[in-house]
Amino acid sequence: MTDQALIIQFQNDDSKEGAFTQLLKRHQETVFYQIKKMVIEHADADDIAQAVWIKVWNKLDGFKQESAFSTWLFRVAYNETLNFIAQRKRLQGQAKQNYLDQAEDQPASSNALKETQIQIKLERAIAALPEKQRFVFMLRYFEDYDYEKIASITGTTVGGSKANYHHAVKKITELIQND
Amino acid sequence: MGLNNVMENESISKELEAALESFKAKTNQAPEGYFDQFEARIVAKIKAKEQLTSALVAPKNSASIISIFRAQKKYMVAASVMLIVATGYLLYNQSATNSILKDEIVAIEALPDAVIEGYINNNELVAEVEWNTAIETAGADVSFNNN
Repeated sequence: MTDQALIIQFQNDDSKEGAFTQLLKRHQETVFYQIKKMVIEHADADDIAQAVWIKVWNKLDGFKQESAFSTWLFRVAYNETLNFIAQRKRLQGQAKQNYLDQAEDQPASSNALKETQIQIKLERAIAALPEKQRFVFMLRYFEDYDYEKIASITGTTVGGSKANYHHAVKKITELIQND
Repeated sequence: MGLNNVMENESISKELEAALESFKAKTNQAPEGYFDQFEARIVAKIKAKEQLTSALVAPKNSASIISIFRAQKKYMVAASVMLIVATGYLLYNQSATNSILKDEIVAIEALPDAVIEGYINNNELVAEVEWNTAIETAGADVSFNNN
């Protein structure tokens, strides 16, 4: 059954829960892993994923199917992730996230393997990106989404998404080479 | 992918690619059984929220509110009924009286002058007799002759 058919079922009270659980089963892993790439910590990703699906339950009735469900779902996930990060920054009173601090605390030179050093540098570089650039980079590089879909998810233009991706790539490259 | 094209140093590029793959593997992990339980956790959370919302909208077991006028309730009802009845009675009587007076005025105005004059002439004597009877009863002397 397609997402569209499940959304129609969701709008019927009798089959609402069944349709919702099917949509959840279908998309939960993709959404969760995308969130986890943004916040790294499992517990944080779990909190955000729960908020996302509760929002889907509350807002799906108003979804007009003008875009694909997965685009809409990723947009909800994107907004919830940005909200979470902003809230975390406010609560901790710091500009950096936990995992970035952890990555910085680890001495890169102490690791014997060069691959691990690069891994640490990469995590630092990714964490140093502005949230929007980071999200765009993840969607493009790991999920191989086209720029139109990325633009719909992040609420920007196709050109803006391309610029975000190329800025992200440039920054990652510079940070790794100069570190 | 796009990132590799940017990298000039091929050895770093390969390492970076490996690092990116490692990053992907690290972030594409979840504890065993996490997704099996996730659905049940979400549904339970949604139901709990909906129950909480419905309880807040229509509290079933809220504390009972005792009115300070509860003891006087029957007296207040009785007084209200009496007030309504009395007001209704007064209004009804007032409107009835008004309609009678109105009818009378209309009736007199409708009478021809000859009928009214005839009535006055016929009743003039009766009026004088009534005056004289009243004066005599009072025992007063009303003659114009002072001698």
